[in-house]
Amino acid sequence: MSIYDKIFRPKTYTLPNGKSVQQKASRMPVAVVIILAMLILSIRITGFDMAVLVKRMNQFFVILGEMFPPKLEYLSQVWGPLFDTIKMSLLGSVIGSLLAVPFAMLASTNVIPNRAVVAIVRLFLGVVRTLPTLVSALIATYIFGLGTLAGTTAIAIFSFAYIGKLTYEEIETVDMGSFEAMEAMGATKTRAFISAIIPQVLPMYLSNCLFNFEGNVRYAAILGYVGAGGIGLILNEKIGWKEYSSVGMILVALFVTVFIIESISRAARKKLV
Amino acid sequence: MIKFENVTKKYPNGFVGLKNINLEINQGEFVAIIGLSGAGKSTLIRTINRMHDVTEGKLTVDGVDVMSLQGKALRQFRRKIGMIFQSFNLITRTTVIKNVLTAFVPEIPWFRAAFGIFTKEEKIKAMECLDKVGILDKSFVRADQLSGGQQQRIALARTLAQNPQIILADEPVAALDPITATQVMDDFKRINKDMNISILINIHHVDLALKYADRVIGIRAGEIVYDGPSENVTDEVLDRIYKGSNDKASKSEGAA
Amino acid sequence: MDNKIKKAYDARPKNWVFELVLAVIIIGLMVWSATAVETSGTNQNGGKIAINILSGIFHPDTKLLLNLTNQGVPYLLLETMCIAFMGTVVGAIISIPLAFITASNLSPKPVAFIGRMVIMAIRTVPSLVYGLMFIRVTGPGAFAGLLTMSLCSVGMVTKMYIEAIEDLDTRILESLDAAGCTTWQKIRYGILPQLMPNFASTAIYRFDINLRDATVLGIVGAGGIGAPLIFAMNSYRWNETGAILAGLIVLVLIIEFISTKIRVKLARG
Repeated sequence: MSIYDKIFRPKTYTLPNGKSVQQKASRMPVAVVIILAMLILSIRITGFDMAVLVKRMNQFFVILGEMFPPKLEYLSQVWGPLFDTIKMSLLGSVIGSLLAVPFAMLASTNVIPNRAVVAIVRLFLGVVRTLPTLVSALIATYIFGLGTLAGTTAIAIFSFAYIGKLTYEEIETVDMGSFEAMEAMGATKTRAFISAIIPQVLPMYLSNCLFNFEGNVRYAAILGYVGAGGIGLILNEKIGWKEYSSVGMILVALFVTVFIIESISRAARKKLV
Repeated sequence: MIKFENVTKKYPNGFVGLKNINLEINQGEFVAIIGLSGAGKSTLIRTINRMHDVTEGKLTVDGVDVMSLQGKALRQFRRKIGMIFQSFNLITRTTVIKNVLTAFVPEIPWFRAAFGIFTKEEKIKAMECLDKVGILDKSFVRADQLSGGQQQRIALARTLAQNPQIILADEPVAALDPITATQVMDDFKRINKDMNISILINIHHVDLALKYADRVIGIRAGEIVYDGPSENVTDEVLDRIYKGSNDKASKSEGAA
Repeated sequence: MDNKIKKAYDARPKNWVFELVLAVIIIGLMVWSATAVETSGTNQNGGKIAINILSGIFHPDTKLLLNLTNQGVPYLLLETMCIAFMGTVVGAIISIPLAFITASNLSPKPVAFIGRMVIMAIRTVPSLVYGLMFIRVTGPGAFAGLLTMSLCSVGMVTKMYIEAIEDLDTRILESLDAAGCTTWQKIRYGILPQLMPNFASTAIYRFDINLRDATVLGIVGAGGIGAPLIFAMNSYRWNETGAILAGLIVLVLIIEFISTKIRVKLARG
């Protein structure tokens, strides 16, 4: 019996034939109260106001309207930064994903028996994952100077933590039977890991890497704001100059790129899993 | 009383599911319907509460022409016919008692149905039904935490809560292991005897059919090829149902 | 016997062409992407700055960390949490109709396709562009932030809702039909109980992500902890940066821990 059940007593139902059943008090009312309280607090603090939203929503479409039709002549200048963004996310994703592998192994309880090591590595991955990408990009620009190298670093750091977490979860759910079989045949732990665990984890790992890359292309678009190179740089510039038809062109180009990359990556992931 | 008069069922693609069926089932009978997969067992059962339409002939339940019913009248008609499925068809993410309480939904005011409010009497009634199938103690457990046999019992309790005169069971034990299957069949038998509810059951296990049912109907290619007491079902009858000949060279499965 | 083995050996699948092509493509892509690594010259002070940052993060400005006014870390974190919470709520509500018209088992193909395109377009626009558009609607501040956050959530949330809808177990509807339920009773008792835990779990998951991404909003003036964080970094006040980051990291880790617990509970009951 938990504390909750001691405060809110279970309800007893008695049947006409004398049998009785106890129903534990539902957690629902508590959840509802908490959610309502959070809603009220959030509405007060953020100043959420439906009336303003309804009245002024048309303003949202003013800029959107100015973006269309996009300025087609500008397309020729979009290519360079767009490819920079893709390159940045590709290289960053690959470096981060590769770096994640040894850490993921260290964070798996079925590979490393030492609980302390596992806990420390997991906490490390957790903290790195919490670090906002924008912050790591900004720090990277201070260290490496403005340019795509900073963006690549930021993406690599994010990919490292993200893939690291997914991979150790994957390694933990692996079927250890084949690992034992390898050991029984006289293989060392390392050999057994290579030939029994890796083939099981690899397809999901690659699939996660592709998914991560997809997301990073989209995310890389904002890194330009802190000077970390790529399409965000010109996006920020055009927004600053209020050249919205050029912004529209950038967004259309980005949409098409993301669409193509997602289609290829989805097809590849279907093949993998 | 359920009465089939020259009932034929043609599917839109031209396949004939039932051919000229004539049948009378009295209140309180326990009937097992046996036959190969695709012979028309499911179709036969599902025409009774009009989950499937009949294309020719007349089907009446207690004198009501089933094909004349529509909308509200059809839904009210279905209230007195319970149905059990092979796959249990439960809402697995909620508790056992909530599954049983759904039986009352069509009868309660709309605002209670919308907010899922049930009275104490309804809850007690639902629990009595759960008690009848022996899972009263599981009332407030989530349905997906129970075994297959227990889940089928929830479905049975849900049907009982509807207070039906007839229970249609479409392969109720096909997904269960032999021992659980026997237990569920015991439940059916008890309900049939204690509450005088007619039970029509589609079943693949011939031995279970013969052991529990009073009457057996054999169907082959949409036609009734045997209709009589379960004691009279011989190997020869089974051959007729399952092989379509009097060839005695090979014995039918489960006939022992 | 030998012949048979030889035949089987010869019939082995020969993937080497495919594998070679794949390897060339991947190496090619790597080389191509490496060409983008350009900087405006590594700052000589880079290493020194890195050390400053690290020391700042490990020596957070405790005055700021424990300041209970509007400028203090606790209030900023609360504001960020509120933005993320309302953003998730609004985004989750917008996603429901979108998911239903895009689910392939409910909608006709052309409608589902248009729905997919709309979702993708919503997802492609970077958050700072939304921030800018919403600031026109509400003026700068947390309100614009939560609206931005909600649109950013729509993409992922809708995708997961669609999966839940496509996984619906329709056999329950059959049994409710047999029990004489009307269409809306079937939705209320057959579909909602299946979807609710899924939808709630998705929303909680997204709340986690939103909290983490909320820093982005600060840069367009849409409220939350982002703006003070970026200001502190831009003016090299590393102790302040450290205080804000420390608060943010602890908050996100705590929320993640709680939300994982709740989601496990929702899935297993």
